[in-house]
Amino acid sequence: MLDQKITELQSEIDRILPAISTTDALEKFRIEFLSRSGKLASLYEALKTVPGDQKPAYGQKINTLKKSVEAQFELLKESLQSSFSEQKNDIDITLPGRERPRGTRHPITQTLEHMKSIFVSMGFGIVYGPEIEDDYHNFEALNFAPNHPARDMQDTFFVKDDIVLRTHTTPVQVRVMKSRPLPLRVIMPGRVYRNEAVSARSNYFFHQVDGLYVDKNVTFADLKGTLVTFAKNFYGSDIKYRFRPSYFPFTEPSLEMDITCFLCKGNGCRICKQSGWLEVLGAGMVHPNVLRNCGHDPEKVSGYAFGMGVDRISLLRYGIDDIRIFFENDLRFLNQF
Amino acid sequence: MRISYNWLRQYIDLNNSIEDVAQTLTSLGLEVESIDHLGKKFEGFFVGEVLDSQRHPNADRLKLCKVRVSNEGDPLQIVCGAPNVAVGQKVIVGVVGTTVPHNQHDPGAKPFVLSKVSIRGVESYGMICSENELGIGDDASGIKVLESGAQIGTPLADYLGVNDIALEIGITPNRPDCLSHLGIARDLAAALNTKCISPKVKRFDNPKNSVTELAKVNVLNTADCPRYTVRIIQNVEVKESPEWMKRLLNAAGLRPINNVVDATNFVMLEYGQPLHAFDYDHLAQHTIVVKSADKGEKFTSLDGKVHELSGDELMICDGEKSVAIGGVMGGLNSEISAKTSTVLLEAAYFSPVSVRKTAKRLGISTDASFRFERGIDPNITDEASARAAHLIAELSGGTVVAGIIDHYPKKISEKNIALRADRVNAILGTSLTVQQIVKFLASIGINITPGKEKNEFICSIPTFRPDIDQEIDLVEEVARLYGYDNIENKTSGEVMFSAPEHFEQQVFSVRHWCESNGLNEVLTNSLIDTPTAKIFGSDLVTVKNPLSVELETLRPTLLATMLQTIAYNYNHGVSRLHLFEIGTVFSAAVGNIKSTYIEGYKEKNCIGICLSGESNLLSWHEKQRQVDLFDLKGLVLSLLRGIGLDNSDLIYYNAPTSLTEMTIGVEINNTYIGFLGKVKPESLKKFKIEHNVFFAEIDLDLLTKLQSARSYKGFSKFPTVTRDVSFIVKKSVSVGEIEKVMKLAGGLQVTAVTLFDLFEGPALGEGMKSVAFSLKINSIEKTLTDAEIDSMITVIVQSVTKTFEATLRSI
Repeated sequence: MLDQKITELQSEIDRILPAISTTDALEKFRIEFLSRSGKLASLYEALKTVPGDQKPAYGQKINTLKKSVEAQFELLKESLQSSFSEQKNDIDITLPGRERPRGTRHPITQTLEHMKSIFVSMGFGIVYGPEIEDDYHNFEALNFAPNHPARDMQDTFFVKDDIVLRTHTTPVQVRVMKSRPLPLRVIMPGRVYRNEAVSARSNYFFHQVDGLYVDKNVTFADLKGTLVTFAKNFYGSDIKYRFRPSYFPFTEPSLEMDITCFLCKGNGCRICKQSGWLEVLGAGMVHPNVLRNCGHDPEKVSGYAFGMGVDRISLLRYGIDDIRIFFENDLRFLNQF
Repeated sequence: MRISYNWLRQYIDLNNSIEDVAQTLTSLGLEVESIDHLGKKFEGFFVGEVLDSQRHPNADRLKLCKVRVSNEGDPLQIVCGAPNVAVGQKVIVGVVGTTVPHNQHDPGAKPFVLSKVSIRGVESYGMICSENELGIGDDASGIKVLESGAQIGTPLADYLGVNDIALEIGITPNRPDCLSHLGIARDLAAALNTKCISPKVKRFDNPKNSVTELAKVNVLNTADCPRYTVRIIQNVEVKESPEWMKRLLNAAGLRPINNVVDATNFVMLEYGQPLHAFDYDHLAQHTIVVKSADKGEKFTSLDGKVHELSGDELMICDGEKSVAIGGVMGGLNSEISAKTSTVLLEAAYFSPVSVRKTAKRLGISTDASFRFERGIDPNITDEASARAAHLIAELSGGTVVAGIIDHYPKKISEKNIALRADRVNAILGTSLTVQQIVKFLASIGINITPGKEKNEFICSIPTFRPDIDQEIDLVEEVARLYGYDNIENKTSGEVMFSAPEHFEQQVFSVRHWCESNGLNEVLTNSLIDTPTAKIFGSDLVTVKNPLSVELETLRPTLLATMLQTIAYNYNHGVSRLHLFEIGTVFSAAVGNIKSTYIEGYKEKNCIGICLSGESNLLSWHEKQRQVDLFDLKGLVLSLLRGIGLDNSDLIYYNAPTSLTEMTIGVEINNTYIGFLGKVKPESLKKFKIEHNVFFAEIDLDLLTKLQSARSYKGFSKFPTVTRDVSFIVKKSVSVGEIEKVMKLAGGLQVTAVTLFDLFEGPALGEGMKSVAFSLKINSIEKTLTDAEIDSMITVIVQSVTKTFEATLRSI
């Protein structure tokens, strides 16, 4: 009885299988013969009715059949799939792909994110402060005496007599020194404002990153090392640099850092005004008056601070000759970054 | 500060190249911004002699000249159009290849390069020049004829004596001592380990003080005028200064005026001491009174401008009237003129704060006020005055009256500051010896005596260095003279771990999500005009001293400035605008709005998203369509989920904003964080935008405070079944409500309800729509049978049909 069933099924399969030429027909075959409720499975059902001593022999027969059918099935499946891909080869593959619209980050943001990532890798945290600032944080606590010409270095927008749009991100230094415990190692990015006529070289607002490290035994040598490490990471390990004494009311000694012009490699060009050097940042040791104003004893702790302009550096980095283009947000410009 | 190199070399021996000197100055903190070889613009011009001058064969007004510019070779053939050219003249000749500084025939007087040209058929090999073309005078009527003794072939720069080099040096506000040639020479000498030699100033042999017989000085405001001196020079003849004086002043960037004024300017640039020369005969009662102005007083300064005074200005007056604004500018009523025969020379020390306030208030900045504001040396007054008086006498044939009136009641003396050698090394990270430190400080004129402690010194600070005020300033001097480049770059230190900044990380995620999803980041203005600001917000913050009315008010929302950007791009032919900006918006903190940092002001970090124009890119496989509200709604939801905010009920429909219509609120964990909607047509009209704009603004300060920690939830191991179901309902029934009811009826086993088809049509009946949903159903416990699923669907269908009077269209 079962013998016959096996033979019949075998011949049925032998008849159908070779005639299959599509994946759909093959799937239909699979369901009919190989699925859990398929015809091969029904043989195993029938096996249950066979006397115990005959079971192994029949079982083996059915297994052999099943294995052979499965093997043929897999072979056919593979060959059908390959012929499927051959069939599709007549498609014009030069048709445009289905592109996703490309987004961009603003070049100033990209510069800033690059700077942040370097400082974060050097153990700096990132903090922010207000753009509407009071005279105390923006000037007084930073050792700008009232009526000192140093205030001329930063033309100021006033909201009230003693409330300004911050002229630099340095007031955030005062805020963190007053609110966070030492040691303190942070950078402070943000937008700043200067009451200056808008031109190709200057805008009434721009972006800065200030940095601050206050701890025991922080030295000018630490400052220089930090700045050189940053500059080599940011501008490239082969740059040349120089430090010049400079003046900021809130640091003493103060410095400015120049690097060789990356456009002319130091030979002199329009960008570096023929000097071969580009000024990239200002820095110095936190002035003892500032430390005192923020509640720290300059005999016990010291610190360094630095600041750089993100917009100006972006100009140089991308060879842009007019700062105003950053804020026109022309898509033909933005899509280049 | 512009420095003449020839002038500088009068005080210091410099054998180094100009580049080396510039580098040394820069390393001292006196940054050389440019080096200008003044003779360079005359390169290619020579003294020549006109040998022959004939009428041009083809042009009446032109002459054909033969000009010898060298003792060897043939003379040059030059076509010249000047009416005054004549044989035997010594003239200035530019040869082929030379750049002529000013083109007389060009309205912009631009430079041009001489080349061999053919003029009306005759070749011309150069040009005979006018003063105007070379920028050495104003005469453009004809060629410049030189004195007959001029040597043929002499380079013009040598003939004119212009072989100086001008250095433009950026002087920081703390270094008033370097606003003079002597000051710079002094610093340079310290760095180069050489000497700075001050000019020899004649002193008076006559002990008699005759000045007091000729003039009186009465200083009523000694706070603002700690020192005031007067010298008198008689019998002067006011005329042009000699060439050497004019050359040096020109090189240093000052225009020569007359010998008296030039002498005062010369000494200012030499010593840094501003001086003022009055016409003695115009001073009533020959008296100087130094006092504060009368409130409301009007005063006409040298430049002819009339100033109304507030009463705080320090004025120099004679017996009757004001004659100068102290330390700022002289008056028209007492200026030196051709008729002046007696000069009263003022040399004073005015209080920096007073001068600065006055100059600021009157909006005047002069070479004098610039120096007084920064603080000149109060003890150089006498010497500078003597120097100037003798110079005036020498240049004008006058005589200096013996003596000086010197009102200096309280001498400003040198400060003493203690310096610890250990402190120097502790701040700089150096290991300088005591000897080195002492040597550096001594080299800039600081007198050092031992202090109380070991390795402590008392430094006596010369009065020309008002910036050195405490120990740290001396540390900087040591660092400066040691050389910043000689200090180690320390690249190791204590490791310190930065704290995680949640705000920073979330904003980073938001920005990168937006970029990855096809949005362009923009950065827009923070300031806008007040009328526009009023459209978008109340409680505005305005700037008291704006650059212009267009930049007067801080933006109350990112929408205002993003619309400017959208208008700009539409005007430039862009048709698809998907933008975002992360920035600050501002308002006054009134009512229940809390101040953020500064009392009375609220600042918010926001992200603004604008969609306008085409939704998708132009392509062959998909029709292009315009963006709509659902593009933005989907984008905002995806963004929030993209940064880990999975709460499903983000959205509600009556958000409190007046910026948009069809407004949808965004709320997470019961915190309102922003909104999205369609920008009102009135706002678009303001910017002349003719397309719909969809705008979302989300408060990043609030967003980044929300926890977005994800945790694992188990999911079903059993198969998921998909069933579609569609209904016909009234148009007024919202899909959101239907979804809610379906989820409620289906229970937890309905894992997703997705609308996949929506249409209206006459076949459905008036005011009806068809909505089709795809449901995903599974159980966490078992494989659901067809019967179980069917009964769930029946419950769902019944709920919908009953609640909304809907008709089942298909299952």
